[in-house]
Amino acid sequence: MVQDDFYKFRGADKYVLDDELAEIVNVSMALEMPLLLKGEPGTGKTMLAYAIAESLGMPLIILNVKSSMKLVDALYQYDTLTRLNDSRFSDSIRDVSNIEEYIKMGKIGQAFVSDTRTVLLIDEIDKADTDFQDDMLDVLDQMEFDIMEIDKTISAKNRPVIIITSNAKKDLSDPFLGRCNFHHIAFPEEDTMRKIIGVHFPDLGREIMDACIKTFYGLRKLEGIEKKPATRELINWIRALKADPDFKLSLLEQGNVPYLGVLYKKSPDMKVANEAIARNRE
Amino acid sequence: MFVSFFYNLRDRGIPVTPTSFLRLQRALRMGAIRSLNNFYVVARAVLVKSERYFDIYDQVFAYHFEGVELPDFEDIELSEMAKLLLDEWLKNPEGVAAALGVNEEDLKKLTPEELEQYFLDRIKDQTEAHHGGNKWIGTGGTSPVGHSGVHPGGMRVGGVSQNKSATKVALDRRYRDYSQEGPLTQSQMGEALKKLRRMVPAGPLDMVNVDKTIYQTMKNAGEIEIVFDRRLSDRLKIVLLIDNGGWSMDPYIPLVQTLFDYTRNQFKDLKTYFFHNTIYDRVWADAARYRNSELITDFIKRDPETRIVIVGDASMAPYELMNEGGSIYFGERSRKSSIENLQFLSQTFRHCVWLNPASRYEWSGTWTIDQIRKVFPMFELTLDGLDGAVSHLMSRN
Ligand SMILES: Nc1ncnc2c1ncn2[C@@H]1O[C@H](COP(=O)(O)OP(=O)(O)OP(=O)(O)O)[C@@H](O)[C@H]1O
Ligand SMILES: [Mg+2]
Repeated sequence: MVQDDFYKFRGADKYVLDDELAEIVNVSMALEMPLLLKGEPGTGKTMLAYAIAESLGMPLIILNVKSSMKLVDALYQYDTLTRLNDSRFSDSIRDVSNIEEYIKMGKIGQAFVSDTRTVLLIDEIDKADTDFQDDMLDVLDQMEFDIMEIDKTISAKNRPVIIITSNAKKDLSDPFLGRCNFHHIAFPEEDTMRKIIGVHFPDLGREIMDACIKTFYGLRKLEGIEKKPATRELINWIRALKADPDFKLSLLEQGNVPYLGVLYKKSPDMKVANEAIARNRE
Repeated sequence: MFVSFFYNLRDRGIPVTPTSFLRLQRALRMGAIRSLNNFYVVARAVLVKSERYFDIYDQVFAYHFEGVELPDFEDIELSEMAKLLLDEWLKNPEGVAAALGVNEEDLKKLTPEELEQYFLDRIKDQTEAHHGGNKWIGTGGTSPVGHSGVHPGGMRVGGVSQNKSATKVALDRRYRDYSQEGPLTQSQMGEALKKLRRMVPAGPLDMVNVDKTIYQTMKNAGEIEIVFDRRLSDRLKIVLLIDNGGWSMDPYIPLVQTLFDYTRNQFKDLKTYFFHNTIYDRVWADAARYRNSELITDFIKRDPETRIVIVGDASMAPYELMNEGGSIYFGERSRKSSIENLQFLSQTFRHCVWLNPASRYEWSGTWTIDQIRKVFPMFELTLDGLDGAVSHLMSRN
């Protein structure tokens, strides 16, 4: 929620970059191919795009895919209502007879008309239907699209660096996959997680880090959980612990887990976790 | 070498396309690959499109590159590659042209024989360019990404992982877990069932209808009148019928339970009923099959657009399915045979599927499964099966 945004704006200095991933980003840029990233929620897929943009010094444009979205929404919008309004109350600075003044670029459009090369993040592509996905890659292959209303072709001034993310366990269509490079971001190992936590909480003591990591990875091993806690939950949980004046390290060491609700969002998961914790304490 | 690597990946079941293979060679030619470690990572990103195959990739990679030099290319393999490329060209000319970096129109002028020769020459060019001087293996960093001027800069790559050789990394088999198809989880079911929806207008009038607004405004001689519509929301009716009796369903209880929990939370207009083995005159709304029963013939009162989903292993004694009064329960004297009741359902509702938790391989040889499959399309209760079932349920006819 609010806290997430807070972290997102920090950019690359807050991002722990995996070497493999950096190589894949580089080769995708060299081959001018979109990079499709999969991985369970909270593995930093979205963060990566911020990091790339920051480290390459390019502006970042984000298209958040929604299930109801049509491709044209991502290309441009024709603002008919404003035009209608202007035609009625002719006190506007726009020229009503010029449709072009009422065309606004969508996210892909913005990336195409930008004077500098941009990073274009297409976030959560799995939410859209297959037609959207395939049509979108056509546009990204050709690097141009038509605005029907004014009979004009928009060609990309610079080919954006394209990052696409998907949460889906299921694979995308073969034609789609054929046109992307692919990487799956695995859930971080304990070592990497320490680094990630380190950048978010530079002043976190060694002992509390150890205890939190141990508790967290213990909880991730529980069976029968629908949504395992991920990096985002761990960060929020540590933040909650740090903010609590009554929190003591010994609590964790005794097998207690305060603020369990920060780690588990679903009540059946809470129940399973609570039972396991109680058993563990006995 | 690369070519046999490619074939090996394919033989082991990874769907690697010739186009992606050419793309990999393009990356080599551009100098975007600096070492075997680098090759390990890049080849995977370019060739392998699902983490499910990462483990097989690791095995093939380790087998191929463990302490090897670059041996010679075998011509036979190359010509087979050219044939494959020709196949791919017929399906996807645009993609192949792009991967080779040539104009699609130029290639269209060639006959298939000429094309094959052309592809062969191109593959030889591309592979030989890297062949002579061990250009990429172990030369660590002599041709940094970007020297071809294709893109400015690149991301910084640290030095830590470079210490471990790629074949060692591959031998770690880090992705073993991803290759196993575990039982379906709720979120995976959600994934598969996501498309099971029918959007119809409902709720408050709060969405501007631009076309109607323009029309009304024109009718009003320019006096603006904004027309609102209702938003679309999901109004699909679903009936879920679950076989929850008998030891033969026991192994599948967790799986079916997951499906049940998921659908109950997700679909607003869902009715669940239970039966044992197959459907006679009645189904029960309570899992104990004891209190609330409903006559199958009453289903005729339901909306014919309702989607019917039956879950069961469809395995029983033939007479249970075929005989009048075939129910194994004493009190349940059915008037019709079960198969007739099933046929009644499939004729009343256009969209019915049968989900079978037993693996496809176990289906053949069970007589009742064959009979039921004549009445309902049957799908496995797996990700792929659910996917097929959903497309069937949402198809137009
Ligand atoms: N490598 C990393 N370095 C620093 N922070 C990270 C890293 N990976 C994840 N995080 C933190 O974890 C949280 C989740 O990351 P992010 O939103 O990028 O994940 P995501 O994979 O896009 O998740 P979702 O699938 O839910 O969209 C963020 O708060 C981010 O700060
Ligand atoms: Mg994200």
